[in-house]
Amino acid sequence: MTELSKARYRPGSSRFLRFLSYLLLIITSVLILLPIVITFLYSFFPVKEMTGYLKLRNNYSNEQWMDILLSPSIVSLRQYYSLMIEKPIYLKLFVNSAIYTVSVIIGQALIIPALAYSLSCFRFRGRDTLFFGVLMLMLLPFQVTMAPSVLIMRTLGLMDTIWAIILPMLVSPFYVFLVRQYMVTIPRDMLEAGLMDGAGTVRTFFHIVLPISKPILGAACALSFADTWNLVEQPLIYLSNSRDLMPLSVMFNALSTEEAGVAFAGAALYILPALLLYTYFQEDILLGIQLSDMK
Amino acid sequence: MLPGLFGLMLFYFGPFVGGIYFSMTDGSVDNNFVGIQNYQKVWENEVFRLGLRNSLELSLICAPLIFVLSFVLALMLRSLGRASLPFRNILLMPYLVPTAALLIVWMLIFDYGGPINRILALFGVDRVLWLESEYLRVPVVLLYVWKNVGFSIVIFSAALESVPDELYEFARLEGASAYKMATKITLPLILPTAFLVFVLAWVNAFKIFKEVYFIGGAYPNESVYTLQHFMNNKFSKLDYQDVTTAAYSFAVIVLVLFGVLYAQKGVRGHD
Repeated sequence: MTELSKARYRPGSSRFLRFLSYLLLIITSVLILLPIVITFLYSFFPVKEMTGYLKLRNNYSNEQWMDILLSPSIVSLRQYYSLMIEKPIYLKLFVNSAIYTVSVIIGQALIIPALAYSLSCFRFRGRDTLFFGVLMLMLLPFQVTMAPSVLIMRTLGLMDTIWAIILPMLVSPFYVFLVRQYMVTIPRDMLEAGLMDGAGTVRTFFHIVLPISKPILGAACALSFADTWNLVEQPLIYLSNSRDLMPLSVMFNALSTEEAGVAFAGAALYILPALLLYTYFQEDILLGIQLSDMK
Repeated sequence: MLPGLFGLMLFYFGPFVGGIYFSMTDGSVDNNFVGIQNYQKVWENEVFRLGLRNSLELSLICAPLIFVLSFVLALMLRSLGRASLPFRNILLMPYLVPTAALLIVWMLIFDYGGPINRILALFGVDRVLWLESEYLRVPVVLLYVWKNVGFSIVIFSAALESVPDELYEFARLEGASAYKMATKITLPLILPTAFLVFVLAWVNAFKIFKEVYFIGGAYPNESVYTLQHFMNNKFSKLDYQDVTTAAYSFAVIVLVLFGVLYAQKGVRGHD
């Protein structure tokens, strides 16, 4: 039984209110799911039918409506076939995105927990200042440090390489904040008990802190995936001269304008890994944030 | 830990401090120190002001919308207890979905002949040119809210779980209405979290860019030209000084916002 499913039934809530909550939540959920469902549904339409349909867009005649398509004339996997086999550019961009995402997540897994641990469990001079700095950087948009960052990347010779995207993401302040807020809730006694038994800080970290932090690490992993998979601002700047390194997130729009007929399958494929990962980590996200100190 | 610190210094703190210096020099070969001259120049720039106004307005539409929606939805989720789990999962889902993938559906829904205009027509309202007029704000805001409301709900829900049930029982015996309970018990008790949700929602909405960039490109309709557009476009013209100066004006605004809200919280904490 997890913490969440233990959430109690509230006997006192009036029936009418419960019913109303149900109704409104169902409506909201349908609205939330609708765009995703449409994307997947339309991805099974034949390419010709979709191309024809999308040509009706941007028609400004007041007599014409676009039909609302509910089922394809014939269920077809042609859109997927075309993306995977006939147009290698899509797969190429998809792989680029995957490379960025996987490297960022692995790198973050190596760096962020240790950084968050030192910001939450040790006392050292300047720790709070450092944490305040992290908090502040988290709130600022990418553009604030954009120009000086470009200079640094140029000096290091990283412009227009994949490292310009990956390296800064590895220490992304938001995840340091997220994991740190969870780790501060770990009782100090527990850590001290570890130290008393002769485990050094390193062993305490691996054998006590990391296992307890599993939910927030899962959550951070999923959120970071979403972030990197959806990266736009950084590649636009750092990779402006090397289009073949661009991730799918930046190029998808242009791609789907050129090849409207297969756009929905492209979008569906693009969403799919995010959804799968979400299904895997959803309990962690809810639990991790619930247990951390977000106040 | 050390590589992490090093990375933070190199890619975040370093550029941040370097940027301050940057925004105060003239960018010529000798890089003369010019003080606040750049700031004066940028603040007098019409386009900068347009971007600033739009970013502020958009964030002031999005943040309260997300705040209220997520609070109400989180309350409803709590009242359902265990049965709320599937809803929780659905509501957070969009947060993980990449913006670019949704665009095509969004453009379809808001097309001149699309479903939204059909619904309007049912009510006898004229069609709206959503994607190419000042109404572009509507699809942009909706896309933003659709995607981000789930995260706020999760944070709110976490706080709500910590409010003891007994308080509500007691209030109910006293005959308090649901609205009274929400505003008189729940909200005060979860105030620190509410504060966090609001700050995050506001600051993040202030950074809104992707949604606009995808729908409107680098030079969208004037009503959604954000500060980030200004910075990106200045950047592609290699005008680094202006970018940085604009960025620091931006940073100061964000930090002042944060500071004001933070001070507010400190005051309330003493009640």
